[in-house]
Amino acid sequence: MRNLINFLLKYNNLIVFLILESIAFYLLGTSNKYHNSRLVNGIRGITAGIEKKAKNIRTYFVLRDINQSLATENIELRNRIEQLEKKEGQTIFYVSDSIKKQQYKYYSAEVIDNSINRQKNYFTLDKGRNDGITTDMAVTSGDAVAGVIVGCSESFSVGMSVLNLDFRLSARIRSNGYFGSLSWDGRDYSHALLSEIPQHITINPGDTIETTGFSAIFPEGILIGIISDYERTGSDFYKINVLLMTDFRKLHFVNVIGNLKKTEQLELEKQFQ
Amino acid sequence: MINKILRFGLVFVLLILFQVLLFNNIQFSGYVNPYVYILFILLLPIELADWLLLVLSFLTGLIIDIFSGSLGMHTASTVLAGFSRPYVLQIISPRDGYEPGSEPSMINYGFRWFVIYTLILVLIHHTTLFYLEVFRLSDFFRTLLRVLLSTLFSSAIILLIEYYRKGR
Repeated sequence: MRNLINFLLKYNNLIVFLILESIAFYLLGTSNKYHNSRLVNGIRGITAGIEKKAKNIRTYFVLRDINQSLATENIELRNRIEQLEKKEGQTIFYVSDSIKKQQYKYYSAEVIDNSINRQKNYFTLDKGRNDGITTDMAVTSGDAVAGVIVGCSESFSVGMSVLNLDFRLSARIRSNGYFGSLSWDGRDYSHALLSEIPQHITINPGDTIETTGFSAIFPEGILIGIISDYERTGSDFYKINVLLMTDFRKLHFVNVIGNLKKTEQLELEKQFQ
Repeated sequence: MINKILRFGLVFVLLILFQVLLFNNIQFSGYVNPYVYILFILLLPIELADWLLLVLSFLTGLIIDIFSGSLGMHTASTVLAGFSRPYVLQIISPRDGYEPGSEPSMINYGFRWFVIYTLILVLIHHTTLFYLEVFRLSDFFRTLLRVLLSTLFSSAIILLIEYYRKGR
């Protein structure tokens, strides 16, 4: 017994160190898995208040940019209305088809916390479960992809940004329809990598990259970015550098898109796997 | 004693606010992310009991983690830095040893001593932090570059702050 006490006294720092370090690694391990969903529920509530205040101040400095982007979006929407009205005028009759129900539902939200300087970046939105947001919803900024919701609390939600080493998205080249997988390599906040595009097709820098509808998260045809350059690797696939359309430094207002038929699609797909 | 506790409390709050509101938003070509809050661990009195140093490191890391939404990462690296501080102090101790009751600051032990002290501890902290963040060994050397550049940058800011304190 005395030996034990002596031992403990002699190595008490090491023991305290080991205990604290194992708590840290326990937190690291568990929070990695359900990552932010746990965090959101517990602690985000406390820090969100401070973040919101800081965000309020920061927003003042970029009001001009926000206004500009809202104005451009407005003009675009107005143009679209114009086009639709013209079309509507030409149709002779309109069949209301009740089988084709609405598939995607849009919510708007504000980004209250965002980072671009880590290897695994997340952003926090000011809408949560109470506003109808659930996990696995798509997040877009303007017309372009921004991320995916990974965790929700009552009034906040956390999205995994495209700028996250764990982010994967099925993407295709608009001009020829070849699809591959989009990921981020952790280097530059304005570029992502498109892989799995076979080398027998020709690629032009400037081509548009958009989402495929394969994942049941993003609707088809949402902008991701344009090809800035590419290189041939040793394998059969290109390594394509994509200039992201979304400026993640200026992420303020985003749309959250929910797929109302996601469960239906996933259940059907499950039968064949 | 109370005075000291109050002063360190103030330093603690200030450093955390600086880190969360200012330095967490600094991004320089994806390679430089300064983590300056570690200065709190550097400044604690030399004779502070080791277990208390560890507990304080744990709390500092935990609070930064809560604010940056990365539970465990900063905690683990700050605790490691706190654990290695007594050994670092031992290795780089000046010839006549440390004055009883003193703090490891530039005023007490000189510029050169403080630079070495800062660089070693910041390097330990950043190495753990960046490798835990990436959590994979692919891109090993790129992470190493990030560690080294960020270490230099954080140390530079810490030295600036410390220099300012010395001037006052």
